[in-house]
Amino acid sequence: MLFFSILKRSLTRSPNPRISIFFSVLQSPFHSARPRIRCLNGSIGFVGSSERLDFSCFPRRFRWFSSSVAATSDGLTVDGIVAKGWTILDEDDGDWKSHAAAIAQSIQLIKKRLQWIKMVVRLEQLSATINKADLWDDPVYAGRVSREHGGLMSKMKEVKGFEQDLLEHIDMLKLAREENDQHLELESMQALINMRRTAKEKELEALLAGENDSCSCFIEVQAGAGGTESMDWAAMLVNMYTMWAQRHGYGVTIVDEMPGEVAGIKRATIKVDGEYSFGYAKAEVGVHRLVRISPFDSAKKRHTSFAAVAVIPILGDVSTRYQIKESDLRIERFRAGGAGGQHVNTTESAVRITHIPTGISATCQNERSQHSNKASAMSVLQSRLDQLEMARQAQLNAEHTQSLTEISWGNHIRSYVLHPYRMVKDLRTTMKSQSPDSVLEGELDGFILNFLSSSLDKDDDSL
Amino acid sequence: MLVNHQCLFLMGTVEMISRLFPIPTVSLRRSITIRASVVSSSASTARKTHPPLFLRPLTYFATLSDIVAFRSWATSLATAAAAAAPGLESIDGGPSASHLLRELSWLLEDATSQSCGKVLMRADLDELYRLWKERIERRRPFQYIVGCEHWRDLVLVVREGVLIPRPETEMIVDLVRDVEGFGEGLWADLGTGSGAIAVGIGRELGENGRVFATDLSLDAVEIAGINVERYGLKDKVEIRHGSWFEPLDDFKGKLTGLVSNPPYIPSSDIPGLQAEVSKHEPKLALDGGVDGTDHLFHLCEGSATVLRSGGFFAFETNGDIQSELVANYLSTKWTKCFTNVKTVLDFAGIKRFVTGFRQ
Repeated sequence: MLFFSILKRSLTRSPNPRISIFFSVLQSPFHSARPRIRCLNGSIGFVGSSERLDFSCFPRRFRWFSSSVAATSDGLTVDGIVAKGWTILDEDDGDWKSHAAAIAQSIQLIKKRLQWIKMVVRLEQLSATINKADLWDDPVYAGRVSREHGGLMSKMKEVKGFEQDLLEHIDMLKLAREENDQHLELESMQALINMRRTAKEKELEALLAGENDSCSCFIEVQAGAGGTESMDWAAMLVNMYTMWAQRHGYGVTIVDEMPGEVAGIKRATIKVDGEYSFGYAKAEVGVHRLVRISPFDSAKKRHTSFAAVAVIPILGDVSTRYQIKESDLRIERFRAGGAGGQHVNTTESAVRITHIPTGISATCQNERSQHSNKASAMSVLQSRLDQLEMARQAQLNAEHTQSLTEISWGNHIRSYVLHPYRMVKDLRTTMKSQSPDSVLEGELDGFILNFLSSSLDKDDDSL
Repeated sequence: MLVNHQCLFLMGTVEMISRLFPIPTVSLRRSITIRASVVSSSASTARKTHPPLFLRPLTYFATLSDIVAFRSWATSLATAAAAAAPGLESIDGGPSASHLLRELSWLLEDATSQSCGKVLMRADLDELYRLWKERIERRRPFQYIVGCEHWRDLVLVVREGVLIPRPETEMIVDLVRDVEGFGEGLWADLGTGSGAIAVGIGRELGENGRVFATDLSLDAVEIAGINVERYGLKDKVEIRHGSWFEPLDDFKGKLTGLVSNPPYIPSSDIPGLQAEVSKHEPKLALDGGVDGTDHLFHLCEGSATVLRSGGFFAFETNGDIQSELVANYLSTKWTKCFTNVKTVLDFAGIKRFVTGFRQ
């Protein structure tokens, strides 16, 4: 490690192309060793992701990354740094120990959020599966396994790389001090400061590391019992999510909307288009409760109403999606009546598609042609069926059940009280906001991030 | 004046084409001359029309409060009309308040574009007020107001003189697409109107596939031409002027398939139709004679000569009774000519289409 550090140092001093070639050549045996090892082992774990490495099948002594703990030249590890309890100072007046402590702490948090231990266990399982000779007898299954394997590998590789960087910079800094090289010391210090900033971003990213977190999604709001008052509440929630999504720069389209007789909506589906919209919005699944003096009650009594929110990811990877058979579908013109055809000129072309085996259906009426309504309803149906399939898979695979049951439909998650006092309270995290108006205008990130971090950070055994 | 409007229309179209499909100026100029010849031939029937709203340039401005004021005026006009006793819906199956309000947002969607707090407009506010009054008071169809109809994944230019393509008809494209040899086949769309089916088919054809679209109406020939051009299908879709099979003399026995949405409404039903249809859409495209089957039967007869052996046909009909009637006619009177004749349901569960094959 020290050897590399010195090399790097000479590289930073004189950016001579020849040296950099030398450097890369020196590094390359490290890389080229991998395929050979793989061949010796007879592994086929690389199919579909030739770039990614299957460390777990390496002979013990080669398993640099997964079993040996990365450390500096004098044996300092990330856990060791945290254990030292160095004081964390502000970024600008920190000494290196403060930076290192902050970064190490972040790395621990990131690992916890990614559920590191589970990841390692899962990776070993997957590697074992991948090494089976008959894996590709079922190409769909094999594809899924190797994709999950590749995804886990790259996530772990990224964190380990980050860890490695920290330790290298510390080595370099110490070296610079020993040799009294101020230039290098300054550079290493700056690198640590940069890492500290990146670490904060990575902490946030780790909150959204779930399998489908980066997907776009549908948000569905359904009014609870209670007539007009709860239909109005459902409409307020749709409005809240629309504004929240717009703040994030997400595209929002109303796919389906069933208006209430007097006011509000019975239910609505909106599509929120953009990276990570599912990752964030999934924190909103559950029942939302409103307490206020109802504008629809002439007696001015206080009412409590409920609305349920569901969030469905729109899966990006087509191959993992539920395969819908055309013959299983019933497509109807929604709210149809009369003779149709040339008899009628209408801009109404709503379509409802029902998946007969499951009874799941989807409606869309907001597009300007029947064809587009059909396509849009179809995409909602597809996502609903995907979700059903994911739940089924999750039951088969106990690893994932926990995370799914945590956010199940039907739990009362948040109360919005407008009378007699004004407060929004999240029942899961006990986080409160004194300003319900701004929450209802889409200021939800506080609640969302709070929930996401609390649900991932709570169990200590996952690290 | 007339010429000016036509020119404007053309400019708008050409501009839109070049936006959709960047093409070199040479072919642009050529397309103008071709269009011009069509215009002159239909000069007798051409009327004072503006280009469709969504194709006009953003040359006008308005403030947000202007738009809010327009919207609230238009909303109250629409709700009042729909609620008037008896309301539009109960008189003749006309639009309900919620339909009208959705049309209002689509009108604004087509006419405006917002940027940095300012509203850019494709028509001035006065025109929007006038258009919406026409929509409510004269029951002028929304599609003629904005000058377009969204149909399948297309946005088709329409105006008075051509039938507004209906959602049911979208399915004809799906029906023919499943026919063996579809992609490289020779197809005909008889009575093409706005050119909807022809464009829908043309977009899905392979390299050697062609569609011949005929219409007796010069308005239809012109509008279909615009739509074909807008989707860059001049090499795939050929429009021919004339009644039903007349312009297809050179293709006797050669067509892979034939589709049509002919006029099929019994003459006596027409005065009772929804005002948008009876007062504004062309009778030529609606009136199917005493029991509505005049043109359908004519199409059946013609198909026998124009289709190649194994050729496919699909006709839209007035619904359950009429499609049974046509299907019966085909399988009894033309029993030696056609096979596999059946009726096909639309999404409302009505037997809307009759399909079959030439022996």
